Amino acid sequence: MTQLVKINVTVNGVSYEREVEPRLLLSDFIRHDLKLTGTHVGCEHGLCGACTILFDGESVRSCIMFAVMADRHTIETVESLGTPDHLHPLQEAFMEKHALQCGFCTPGFLMTLVDYLGDNKNPTDEEIREAIDGNFCRCTGYENIVEAVRLAAKKMAAHS
Amino acid sequence: MAERVFHKSILRNEDPQILAGKAQYLDDIEIPGMLYAAFKRSDYAHARLKSIDVSEAKALPGVIGVYTAEDFGDLVKPGPLQVPPPTAIKGATYASRTIMPIVKDKVRYSGEPVAVVIAESRYIAEDACDFIYPEFEPLDAVIDLEKALQPGAPLVHEDLPSNEAAHVIQERGNYPEAAANADIVIKKKIYMDRVAAVALENRGIVVNWDDKAQMMTIWCGTQSPITLRNATATRMGLFENQVRVITPFTGGGFGPKINTSMPDDVLLTELAVRLNRPIKWYEDRRENFLATTSERDQVHYAEIALTKEGKILGFKDVFYHNSGAYDSYMMTVPLNTQTHTVSNYNIPSFYTEIFMVFTNEMVVTPVRGAGRPQGVFVMERMIDAAARELKMDVAEIRRINLIQPDAYPVSTGIIGQDFVEGVLDSGDYPTALAKVMEMIDYKKFREEIQPKARAEGRHLGIGICTFTEGTGVGPYEGAKITVGGNGKVSVATGVATQGQAHYTSFAQIAAEQLGVEVKDVKVITGDTGAFAWGAGTFASRGATVAGTAIHLAAVKVKNKALKLASQILETPESELELVGGFVQVADLPDKKISLGDLASKANPMRGTFPPGAEPGLEAVAYYGPPYGATGAGCMAMILDVDAETMKPKIERLVMVHDCGIPINPMVVEGQVHGGVQMGIGNAFFEKVFYDETGQLLTASFMDYLFPQATDMPPKMELGHTEIPSPLNPLGIKGVGEAGAIPTPAVFTQALEDALFDTGVEIMESNLSPSKVYTYVQKAKGA
Amino acid sequence: MKLDGEHVFNGPREDVWEMFYDPAVLASAVPGMDKLDVVAENVYEGVMNVRIGPVSGKFQGKLSLTDVVEPESLTLMVDGKGAPGYGKGVGKVVFTQNPDGTTTIKYDGDMNIGGALASVGQRMIDSVAKSMIRSAFETLDKALEARLAAKKTGTEVNFTPPTQTEFASGVAKDMVGGFTKVPEFRLILYILPVVAILVILALVLGK
Repeated sequence: MTQLVKINVTVNGVSYEREVEPRLLLSDFIRHDLKLTGTHVGCEHGLCGACTILFDGESVRSCIMFAVMADRHTIETVESLGTPDHLHPLQEAFMEKHALQCGFCTPGFLMTLVDYLGDNKNPTDEEIREAIDGNFCRCTGYENIVEAVRLAAKKMAAHS
Repeated sequence: MAERVFHKSILRNEDPQILAGKAQYLDDIEIPGMLYAAFKRSDYAHARLKSIDVSEAKALPGVIGVYTAEDFGDLVKPGPLQVPPPTAIKGATYASRTIMPIVKDKVRYSGEPVAVVIAESRYIAEDACDFIYPEFEPLDAVIDLEKALQPGAPLVHEDLPSNEAAHVIQERGNYPEAAANADIVIKKKIYMDRVAAVALENRGIVVNWDDKAQMMTIWCGTQSPITLRNATATRMGLFENQVRVITPFTGGGFGPKINTSMPDDVLLTELAVRLNRPIKWYEDRRENFLATTSERDQVHYAEIALTKEGKILGFKDVFYHNSGAYDSYMMTVPLNTQTHTVSNYNIPSFYTEIFMVFTNEMVVTPVRGAGRPQGVFVMERMIDAAARELKMDVAEIRRINLIQPDAYPVSTGIIGQDFVEGVLDSGDYPTALAKVMEMIDYKKFREEIQPKARAEGRHLGIGICTFTEGTGVGPYEGAKITVGGNGKVSVATGVATQGQAHYTSFAQIAAEQLGVEVKDVKVITGDTGAFAWGAGTFASRGATVAGTAIHLAAVKVKNKALKLASQILETPESELELVGGFVQVADLPDKKISLGDLASKANPMRGTFPPGAEPGLEAVAYYGPPYGATGAGCMAMILDVDAETMKPKIERLVMVHDCGIPINPMVVEGQVHGGVQMGIGNAFFEKVFYDETGQLLTASFMDYLFPQATDMPPKMELGHTEIPSPLNPLGIKGVGEAGAIPTPAVFTQALEDALFDTGVEIMESNLSPSKVYTYVQKAKGA
Repeated sequence: MKLDGEHVFNGPREDVWEMFYDPAVLASAVPGMDKLDVVAENVYEGVMNVRIGPVSGKFQGKLSLTDVVEPESLTLMVDGKGAPGYGKGVGKVVFTQNPDGTTTIKYDGDMNIGGALASVGQRMIDSVAKSMIRSAFETLDKALEARLAAKKTGTEVNFTPPTQTEFASGVAKDMVGGFTKVPEFRLILYILPVVAILVILALVLGK
């Protein structure tokens, strides 16, 4: 058997110490070891963006990283944003603009966008499309997502 | 009066849970003691399996077992047909060769499973596949549809005389006569290649056999949970009530998830019993491309006969339809092509002939659109060819041939996927066309914008097409509605949900009748433990067929509540109304009783119960339409093409659509948006490509181009005509596939128009910049 | 997949031919080739490590030479399979003596691939195959030079084949060059990060 490696990862503010196989994907570690199943896996080759998380504050694809690479790093997943009763303004905007249908890609979009909107307070439609170009959605045709991002930017400005 | 919730854009009940990452999808399910499956798949598309050595794989630590055909005995036989054969069509011939759970002696598509590994983790199961050594004798592959039918072609099924899977001719009027009387007859060869459904969540299944309870529970993102339950019970010799299928939140369906009796559900249910452990299998993306069904791929030889004024007298279409290696889904797709080729135009003579062909490719079953985009593509491209020949305007030639609004119902004479003669129930096609022309400013585009752009050297083109969408077909769906003691309402129906907002739109239908808030209605879809009658989610039928059943059940519950409240409140039923969770006297709103109290009173725990009464505020209802409700629409698109790189930019996209009375207009627009995106993919980005040896060359997102946010038009400008269907009390029609249907035809037309100076004519879809470039070079004679 | 091209060797035809017939040289010239054993006259069996984009693994292969017309031409048949799929190819190789003392070899062949190699690796296989061929010729050039030098001086042949790492960086370089010509410009954005990550991982894990 492969030797296990001890890692220490902070996820959504909680510190976890776990022993993992060196080849364990970060996405599988988050989903199956930590049971944070809000992060989804759609392609397992880093293209669809469903598995996007924040890694030390930057949005990255967790399906093309190993869990051991997260040792002594900080991660945020969709579960860090809001709860069903108290949604994050970005999540509220997605609901109000019907920016999700099956919802499988949604956590990836949200994590790409919290990072993006943190740095870009008032993006144009074109900039929004560029920002989400690495996230695939099969249900919405992206239009309502673009509208949701515009609304979220307003909401987030009002919150801050 | 209660506030109306039907026909209103109400935000979705299901969203908070999904947005917070708390919705349970298939791969989120973990059960103690769970094992994981992986399939060893054939690298060859057509080969004899001579032997298979699994000893090394079996010996790997963590591997529980490796199983091949010989371990499954009698289970290794063709599965049941998913769809009945076309016996309703006179003269139709067919050969049913349904999908095999595992390869016994011959591989028929690349990716067909030859062994299944069960291991303690998915990683180990997938590792073990690399240590399985099958020995194959490769055979020549059958790929080209027309060559497949030539004498001497290798046979996919050697017990058949040829690779012909089915042959169907349907006609109305007399095409040869129409052609003889026509001023012009145009003939073209037209292709449409394959696309994959690419639901963001792959296929998968979790099976749990509880030996003590003698109960099989299956979690699966299937579009047809009841079919899966029934097939499993039948195959395993269990009672139906020993098998429960639950569909968790499902990350998109788009067609392929309708299939049951696939290798995974057949083999893993068996192994779960044998090993007495729960088993999970979740496909990876490459497997999804290889071994989940996909669709399109037809070659058409079409003829159109017209007068010199542009009146269409007749249409003839002989086409080859790729069925893939098996035909478990029979003829739904090509029959849809036949019914959607001429449906919205007034064409007296129509001859349509299908050759359905077996090939060494993955099985073909419906993908959003399901044969309709091909029919519309063929018809619309032929009309464009005619317009070019007759030097007519493309919108005008369509206008003069459309069926008029006073003509309904219109019998088409062509039998469709529901095996009854097609009838267009309602519609107004000329208005949709006029509205689109107005919205996109067609006249101004032709007279000012386009000439100016052309003068500036810009390649700006417009496309405009009309279409119909047969929706809401039978057989039937049902629903059970129960009011709880707290006044909350449960709705259970047999269809499954893959993102269509059923948890909200179905709740709206029930809430409208029962006078409760939409958020107080809990909808359960796709759990056979809650409701076990119905056919499934396909053919844009969920909202229409299950929605109508829900309406009928809600009316029954309402009547029950009114009857009981009338006794308690001592007021005639006609003076009562349901508002805000109460039954109240219309003129005396203080005189009321809550639905919850009524439900409790209708379910006494002591005392007596009147003979013939049924307990609770509960009712079950079913609905089956005589034939489908026909949605329709018109789409226009303006493309700006870079004539050097052949990169098109969609400047504007306008669509006017009729799905009867929309339950939730916001959801309807969302459905159209998603359909259009798939249509754009179908037109220009996406292509499932098999090489001549049957190797799939597009099995990842590196090679299969998925339309992204920057590929879409800046806005999809939607308009609606609401022509209620007379077939159901709510007047609704389906909309799920609408966006996908006209888009490839409109896109190609706009592309040709943009590149008019090259004289290019494009009779295929699934284009790419390099393909368009090749066409243009050919047209220029280079 | 079609593979054709030509290469000019800086040496006489007989020496080039002789070199081709030395399995040790052939094995050293094919990147990733672990070994190549003679199992019969003109039939070799070998094990080769292949990495094509995201697909990698060991291939067991058989290489046979037929229609041998010494020193003018031969037909090369390759048949390999492994966990990532299979490859099967036939190619004709023609050796022409040039007046200036050099030798031109022309090859023209067809290759079929299957499995993950085809379904995931096909977009890259053309570039990788060309890289492999180019790299093989570069190695053979050096091998020929060493052989000719040794022949001249009567000493031992002094020659070291390139390492896997050198090959991997060569492929990455070739692919970048190749893809700028692909009209589906967006592919570059898809593939480059993946390739880069895989190459880096390969190098890191290789150590």
